[in-house]
Amino acid sequence: MQFLFFHNNAFSKNNNFKTIRVKLLICSTLLISAFASIGYRTVSLASIENNKTAQISFKKAPSDILQHTIRGNIFDRNNNLLATTVNVSSLNINPQEVLDINQTIFNLKKVFPKLNRERLLQKLNSDRKHINLLREISPKDHVSLLKLGIEALKIENSEKRIYPNHTLASHVLGSTDIDGKGIAGIEKSLNKQLSGGQDISITIHSGIQHITKTLLSEQIKKFKAEGGAGIIMNAKNGEVYALVSLPDYNANNYNKISDKKLFNKATKGTYELGSTLKLITAAVALESDLINENEVFDVSSPLRISSKTISDYHPLNYSINIPEVVVHSSNIGSAKIAEKFGPSTQLKYLKSLGLMDKLSLELPELGKPQVRTDKKLLTTMTISYGHGISITPSHLASATATIVNDGIRVDPTLLISKSSKINNRIFSNKTSKTMRNIMRLVVSNKNGTAKQAEASGYLVGGKTGTAEKVNPAGGYFKKQNIVTLTSAFPMDNPQFIITVMIDNPKGQRRTAGWVAAPVVNKIVTRIAPILRIKPLTKSSINFSKNLLKYKIRGKDKGANL
Amino acid sequence: MIKYPSFLVIFVIIFIAISLYQIKYFISKKEMELAKINKQKRNTQLDLYILKAELSYLKRPDRLEKIAKNKLQMTEILPIDIWNLKDFVDVTKSLNESGS
Repeated sequence: MQFLFFHNNAFSKNNNFKTIRVKLLICSTLLISAFASIGYRTVSLASIENNKTAQISFKKAPSDILQHTIRGNIFDRNNNLLATTVNVSSLNINPQEVLDINQTIFNLKKVFPKLNRERLLQKLNSDRKHINLLREISPKDHVSLLKLGIEALKIENSEKRIYPNHTLASHVLGSTDIDGKGIAGIEKSLNKQLSGGQDISITIHSGIQHITKTLLSEQIKKFKAEGGAGIIMNAKNGEVYALVSLPDYNANNYNKISDKKLFNKATKGTYELGSTLKLITAAVALESDLINENEVFDVSSPLRISSKTISDYHPLNYSINIPEVVVHSSNIGSAKIAEKFGPSTQLKYLKSLGLMDKLSLELPELGKPQVRTDKKLLTTMTISYGHGISITPSHLASATATIVNDGIRVDPTLLISKSSKINNRIFSNKTSKTMRNIMRLVVSNKNGTAKQAEASGYLVGGKTGTAEKVNPAGGYFKKQNIVTLTSAFPMDNPQFIITVMIDNPKGQRRTAGWVAAPVVNKIVTRIAPILRIKPLTKSSINFSKNLLKYKIRGKDKGANL
Repeated sequence: MIKYPSFLVIFVIIFIAISLYQIKYFISKKEMELAKINKQKRNTQLDLYILKAELSYLKRPDRLEKIAKNKLQMTEILPIDIWNLKDFVDVTKSLNESGS
């Protein structure tokens, strides 16, 4: 019995011990797993998900510590600041905290007399807790407000995009909305880089931009014109030094500007630029083997095609060659040249010169050319002298650059880094050389249409264009012109293209030779020293001597037919 | 009974947890400091932009042109003002050649 008890006791002790061991094991497992999970979470929070942790901790940080990136600045090619972002103070109020509305209005009007009492009353009686009274206040006004000790006022800092040069290059720079997002110009097209804090340097030269704008606006004023456009670009790499569209605007007050001023005539507006297109016609003719330089075309009588009569502004009574067609700006001669190479060749070259597509310029305001592509003989003929084709002045500048740049296509650009791109050849070196001579003759020859573009000491060459303005309702305005001069200089080795367009000049003499050419003359004289273009070098003298081989005959001095 | 290794494991885990918490707290503090420094940098940058904008405003081409004309009586550079010796020699030679 005693043995049995002992046996039972030993069995019970053994059983208890086993139970305790199991319980301890369970407890220790639970504890270890609990600590292990806490340990893992700590490690993961502190190291593995480090970025996430930082974000979580930053959420708890005071809101004024964390701020978005400052929008990048825009500089010109000489590192002059064109657009930047600054801190401005705005005046806000919590109407619920205002104790005496009349006293508050009285105090506010002490500092800001222009505030409207009725509007203030309406705002201060509002149920809202946050109302903006003024978007910008000066530091002086800020101090005055603090001195008055008006309750419920909240002065908050915000950022504002400013343009220190006011109207300079406004169409290039564009503007931003109140949230700092680009809505026009470079501000819009390069918004991603700028909003990421990246500074941008553009190819614009502030000094040359100012000169172009000043001289163009003087001429617009003189001839009571509606506006104008001017482009100066590097003839080799397409870098745009000046891009002016008038009327322009002050981007600091973008919201108050009329659509007429916002419209970019240089890159968005498409116009029939008239006889300037004869440069392309002549280059295509010289490039094709169908016509040689000395071949003559009878321009003594108007040309009648279908229902239309093609005539010349200065009729000639003899047959003229290609250089004379350009120098005298003969529509009949140009039409006859185009007839020879035909519509397919014409459209092929217009396409390869980029005159049928939007430019690749870094601006959102780009116009698409309108070209008649019906391949009818009349269309081919009219396009040859710039009718039935509407392009932007920038397209014309680009085509002129291609013609003088040994025939290698030049695309205008506003970014310095893009300019090293090598483009396709459109015309041969020989054609380009002949065209440079012809362009120079248009300015230097006594019968040339752009004599007034002759800038003393510099070899300027170009082509004028006077076209009747297109009537949106159909047809043309007989007494409204678009006058254009596209030019290059120095012609012995063209470095720069100057294209000037003036919209609807008034007066008796409203041709490109009278209105646009003097602007180019003045621009060349002013900008050549800035661009380090030397006047009268050995090369330029040799170039001028070489021009003597061209015989440009005057009115009534040709051989009888 | 909890054995010695179990104590060690628990101790190590507690130690790691506390030290990692400290590190995390330290890092968060440093990140806050960094954010404050960045804010100061940003404000200084904005002040600098104001100065640059003022400088750019004062250097406006139209303003400089007015000052150059009215205060300094400067005029535009004409081709006759830009002769240098090399050009002069070249052109003289060329004119002599064409004359002879």
